[in-house]
Amino acid sequence: MIMLDYYIVFSIVLFFVGIYCLATKRNMMRIILGIEILINAANINFIVFSVYRTEGFVDPLAHSIVIVSIALAGCVTAVALALVVYAYKHYGTLDVRKLKRLKG
Amino acid sequence: MFTLPIDILLIFAATTPIVGWIESKLGFKKLCGIYATVGLALSSYALYNLSMQALQNPILAPSDAIPSQSCLRIDALSIFLASIFIFLGFFVAIYSIKYMEKDSEISLYYALLLAMISGMMGVVFAGDFFTLFVFWELMCITSYVLVAFRKKHWEPVEAGLKYLVMSSAGSAAILFGLSILYGLTGTLKFVQLSKTFVLTSNVWGYVSLVFILTGFGVKAAIFPLHMWLPDAHPAAPTSISALLSGIVIKTGIYAIIRSLFLIYFPINFSWQTALMVISIMTMCFGNLAALLQDDIKRLLAYSSIAQIGYIFFAISVAITQTDVTIISYSLTAALLHVMNHAVMKGLLFLCAGAFIYKAGTRSLRELAGIGHKMPITATMFTVGALAISGIPPLNGFVSEFMIASSGINSGMLVPTAILLANFLLSFAYYLRLIKIIVWSVPSKKLEKTNEAPILMLFPILFLALSCIIIGLYPNPFIDMANKAAWSLLKY
Repeated sequence: MIMLDYYIVFSIVLFFVGIYCLATKRNMMRIILGIEILINAANINFIVFSVYRTEGFVDPLAHSIVIVSIALAGCVTAVALALVVYAYKHYGTLDVRKLKRLKG
Repeated sequence: MFTLPIDILLIFAATTPIVGWIESKLGFKKLCGIYATVGLALSSYALYNLSMQALQNPILAPSDAIPSQSCLRIDALSIFLASIFIFLGFFVAIYSIKYMEKDSEISLYYALLLAMISGMMGVVFAGDFFTLFVFWELMCITSYVLVAFRKKHWEPVEAGLKYLVMSSAGSAAILFGLSILYGLTGTLKFVQLSKTFVLTSNVWGYVSLVFILTGFGVKAAIFPLHMWLPDAHPAAPTSISALLSGIVIKTGIYAIIRSLFLIYFPINFSWQTALMVISIMTMCFGNLAALLQDDIKRLLAYSSIAQIGYIFFAISVAITQTDVTIISYSLTAALLHVMNHAVMKGLLFLCAGAFIYKAGTRSLRELAGIGHKMPITATMFTVGALAISGIPPLNGFVSEFMIASSGINSGMLVPTAILLANFLLSFAYYLRLIKIIVWSVPSKKLEKTNEAPILMLFPILFLALSCIIIGLYPNPFIDMANKAAWSLLKY
């Protein structure tokens, strides 16, 4: 069996790939993909731990958590895509750096 | 399914669009608003019945839950916060009947409003972290849509997108932290976590703490993670700003104190000092940024950040102490300020909404002297501004005094001095606000404005009255907050 450490390193790297994507990408669609990557990193963690916690037993709790969290991520993405459509109508671009009329 | 108060809200949220369809057939414009208000009233009655049992003993729902099953667990803290949520939500629903009447798709607005309140109640009722997370997402997703509700303008869309990106990244961080917590313990239930989770030298405990604090901190708008708040709160419709500033950011605080006291309390590590530093930076930043704002809603939003700093100050005092009386005292102060801030900031935002509704502008320069035209609203606005800056007979004084004295009791004099300086700063900009609204000479643009309609005045008057009542008779509310604090300490 592959060691647990590799999986955890993989999911943490995936999480930081998502953070990098949010921080540097200009296209709004890519930013939404970045959010998806972040959520999937957490999902992979849940699945891995469900297998590795006890020898020869797969915890069904983590699987149900992951299924629900995938559905929630879908909802977030739907709202985000709708907002991107409206932002495109107002600004005529998908470049997120053009959206800086607010001072924040 | 999820106890009666949440069920009622969800059913009303699901049926509001049907009522909206009937409304469009009948041509009676206020039906949706009245329907939502009735739903909130019924739900608050159910909550009252539930609280009779829950204040004696914590309720588990479903009561025959097997150990690994996710469940709701309702104790005094849940009841305390849920009653604040439903109290403010009820008045905001009444206020919206008039305020939102010019908008289209009003039935969707009320459906989202009810779903958001039910999500918040689910967050405080949850008995395990995953139930909390699901209700958290329900609250977040509805609030994204509500911020961007007026999608014909550029501002709500841009602010909503910014809010969505930051907040859902925060939610993902929460989920990641929870996955590590699950890997360490094999469960996410509060009851089992509080018993089994012993952190001695495990570095992964700290990693999960960092992820969970960051994720919930985005929602609570603590200092480095606050960037969405000053954009999203002004861009939303004012009734929604009142809810966002009043109670949505408080769910972040609830989640943080629940996880800190449940799981991470026994850690011996100096992160408590870091929390104190963050709280002081939060309040300084909020107050300094609010000083010179021209936009009235933006000013109030920055002031919310500062108030979050005060609440965090009390929490970080509670975390550093070992004496249980000081811990319970400072937690009581924090929870009482959560309640007071919800009432005061709700009042201020609703008054600001009345000004905006009548004058059609958010700029303080153009709103100058509007108090002459709208005397009742302006008086209530003054009551709210004085309450939030801590003037004695009003409610803000009680909790701010308790926060400051908890800092002194625990011997942290320098942070307390900074806290007191911040109280003065906030008094300065609220005085400026009162001067502009009440004492300036009204400009020519405002000649035609008159007093706000009665449906908007009623919630304003009632919230101002509760400011005064809590200020004059704080004891029952302090008892209630104290009970909530103890239910947090003895899980």
